[in-house]
Amino acid sequence: MSDVLIQRLTKRHGEVTVLHGIDLDVPRGEFLTLLGPSGCGKSTTLFALAGLDRPSGGRIAVGGRTFYDGEDGTFVAPEERNLGLVFQSYALWPHMTVAKNLAFPLTLRKVPKAEQRTRIAEALELVDLGDYADRFPHELSGGQQQRVALARTLVFRPSLLLLDEPLSNLDAKLRIKSRALLKSLQRQLGLTTLYVTHDQEEALAMSDRIAVMEKGRIVQIDRPEAIYNRPATRFVADFVGAGNFLPVRASRGGQGEIVEARLDRGEVLRATRTAAKGADTQGFMTVRPQYLRLAPAGSAVAPGSNRLDGVIEERTFLGVRSAYAIRVGDHLVTAESEERYETGPVTLAFRPEDTLLLDH
Amino acid sequence: MNAPAFPSGDTTALNGTLAAPGGTDRQLTLAIGIQWLTAIATLVLVLAPLGPILWQSLLDRPLYQPNAVLSLDNFTRLLNDAGFLRAVATSFELAFAATAIACVTGVGLALFLERTDLPARGPFRLFALAPMYMSQLVNAFAWYLIYGAAGYLTLFGEKIVGVPPWDMYGIGGMAIVAGTSMTPLVYLFCSSSARMADATLEDAARSVGAGPLRVLWSVSLPLMRPSIIYAALLVFIGTLETLAVPLVFGRPVGLESFTTFLFSRGLGAITPDYGMVGAAAVLLLVLVAVLLVIQSVLLKGAGRFVTVRGKAQRPRRISLGALRRPIAAVFWGYFVLTLMLPLVAIIARSFTTFLTPLLSPLRVLTTDNYALVLGHPAYLRSITNSVIVASVGALVATLGIAVIALVAKRSAFRFAKGLEYVAMFPRAMPGIVAGIGFFWAMLLLPFAHWLQGTIWILMIAFAMRGIPIAYGAIAAALIQIGTELDQSARSVGAGWWKTCTAIVLPLIRPALFSAFTLLFLGFLKEYASAVFLYAPGSEIIGTTMLSLWSNGDTGAVAALSVIQIAITGVFVSLAHFVTRTNRDV
Repeated sequence: MSDVLIQRLTKRHGEVTVLHGIDLDVPRGEFLTLLGPSGCGKSTTLFALAGLDRPSGGRIAVGGRTFYDGEDGTFVAPEERNLGLVFQSYALWPHMTVAKNLAFPLTLRKVPKAEQRTRIAEALELVDLGDYADRFPHELSGGQQQRVALARTLVFRPSLLLLDEPLSNLDAKLRIKSRALLKSLQRQLGLTTLYVTHDQEEALAMSDRIAVMEKGRIVQIDRPEAIYNRPATRFVADFVGAGNFLPVRASRGGQGEIVEARLDRGEVLRATRTAAKGADTQGFMTVRPQYLRLAPAGSAVAPGSNRLDGVIEERTFLGVRSAYAIRVGDHLVTAESEERYETGPVTLAFRPEDTLLLDH
Repeated sequence: MNAPAFPSGDTTALNGTLAAPGGTDRQLTLAIGIQWLTAIATLVLVLAPLGPILWQSLLDRPLYQPNAVLSLDNFTRLLNDAGFLRAVATSFELAFAATAIACVTGVGLALFLERTDLPARGPFRLFALAPMYMSQLVNAFAWYLIYGAAGYLTLFGEKIVGVPPWDMYGIGGMAIVAGTSMTPLVYLFCSSSARMADATLEDAARSVGAGPLRVLWSVSLPLMRPSIIYAALLVFIGTLETLAVPLVFGRPVGLESFTTFLFSRGLGAITPDYGMVGAAAVLLLVLVAVLLVIQSVLLKGAGRFVTVRGKAQRPRRISLGALRRPIAAVFWGYFVLTLMLPLVAIIARSFTTFLTPLLSPLRVLTTDNYALVLGHPAYLRSITNSVIVASVGALVATLGIAVIALVAKRSAFRFAKGLEYVAMFPRAMPGIVAGIGFFWAMLLLPFAHWLQGTIWILMIAFAMRGIPIAYGAIAAALIQIGTELDQSARSVGAGWWKTCTAIVLPLIRPALFSAFTLLFLGFLKEYASAVFLYAPGSEIIGTTMLSLWSNGDTGAVAALSVIQIAITGVFVSLAHFVTRTNRDV
């Protein structure tokens, strides 16, 4: 059952179009991440959902209720949407204590004082800040402020949780801890959650599904494993950390099929097509560095495996393994291996299942 | 009007006592000479009025008479004087009421003009600041003409309802006049803090369910608290110091304030009670000083109003929705009643023989008021004197205060910090107290008597009063300029003074210009310190207005007011033009 429904959502700032018709359907209880670089429109989508940004067209509905409809001019004010939004800057009101920050949404909902107290205590307990009710925001660390912001959002039981890069102001260690807390809370409460981030690791670790956005469009939406292993475009692949892009001309074939791809120097390789494209197309081939096997120059490769010959130009010691910069024709390819090779000619072997054929 | 504590930059490298590379002995002597001279001159200027007042408050007879005896008798007499105690109580009531009014209107203006999508924000901003350019005296007269006992609207209302619809004489009326005239001060401080506010805090409140007005009340408003406290104390002090409002709306019904008490006892009486005036002046001084200390104490711990800032600040305004027009209408009403009608009244009065709803103003049109003011040499002289005092005085004062700021902020002078305190001290000295102080100083000091009755003593008194505000403007600009610019000048062989004149002063030209503008407008409006200092020949617009007023010559007062407003208008547009066309200034 769909909880959040976004259809053909557009946003224009004068001449500039920020969102080119976003479509999104989020089932109840799902953790969906909008992933993309800054300026891709992910925050705009989130703020449009929250009602803080007025879209230029399209439709937004949550739990069956229309919040925005460009056709008939429906626009529900942000304060009437009952959505919980956590800001990147936390946006804790500096003139109120932690308890007052949490009490404000309850007072607006006319929750009796006694019930407010228990609910505030519960919410603070949930984020492990039971003893901090009387502190002012500036007396808390960044991580604590972040948790107060979360508690302030959860305390009024919103129908939807919206998070705008909530972990980006934390240091690396705290980010991993907060990630786990956030995920377990979300699962525990069963809240439908939209999460905005530019951090692929965060997205992969927490989401049920990821929508990767580029220049105001959703370019791929899928489970984290699929995004990671089967990126549809070069942009998505790049964003989830793939490398070794080699331009190819590919033959016909459907999604998931293994097809033949011809490199610019004429080598023919076999690769898995990740996006459905029927015709003979221009595209890119990618293999993650850890999937490239190194072998002494000229050695035979396993049957069915792809093979490329190149020259090791540089080796970087990484500890257990080493990274190799290998020249293949005009391109530089990175491979990682635990074995040690000296600079000079080398043979690369890799399986067609690990070789992805992407749209440009 | 700025906080006294400007963090001083790293001045160790500017040390004038070490032989800087290329710094010759002559340059060193010049630097030390200028620094000491500046410090002594500032100290004398500030102490000149202060010393005689303190001294007189402890003497049993006028300070120019021999054989005076030291005692605290003046204070006991003063504190047993029922009239004085009543005046103090009136002043306090007035100050509280006026502060409340100014805070409500000023904060309201700041919130709606800076944080919401209210229509007509441009003109509203202009109107909100307009009263600041007007003399308190002119403002009080203007209100008198339209809302006073025989005011145009008062009579108009009386014609309709049979009785005068309101009575401006008393605490309430005075508070409205003083409060609305000091609204710009509150607006100025609160609007700059409102402009810098973090819009995500308001977005957050919207997202948890608060409507636009609730957001303004629960989030935007409390965030301005430091500015509100700061401005509220300025208004409180300003109301305690004001002479014009209680003079026009208090005295006619026998309500004396602290300032009118000083005015009448020091000037009005045939034999002024020197001791009592001295003691009262000291008390007023102490009171204001205490309030300034309270202000700085209250503003400590404003740090918790600083929060983690997110990525891009989204400059957004709270949308008022259907309330936009009704709220704008309220603001229009406010500006029409408190600004436009009084202005129209004073202009209309200046061109008529009477101003009453019973008679069409067109039937009593006249230029007699202007003919009187411009034809009488003493009145005409007061206009030229005002312009000379404002332009020459402000120019000299700006340069002098610039040197004070340079010594306090940009030199290795031993008492730099002390100099800053002395420079900021006049904030505690109300105009009327400064006037009494300089008047007595001329009686006491050996060479000062030939300043008596000249416009030079007015310039000196005004300049002393103007030090803090100009110093604030210049010092703020000075701390923006990195000390490495001085250091590099020193390293290539320039002495301290050469560095100041060749490098630092040119860089702060915009600040010097705005200091000059502030002083010019301040000098043009000033009247309270002048009433004790002027003599035939050294009248200024303010003192002439006061004496014409006490003669009941309202038409001439209106004409002079209009002339003063016109001079201000011309100056402000010129200043605007200069800053617009010349980016360097």
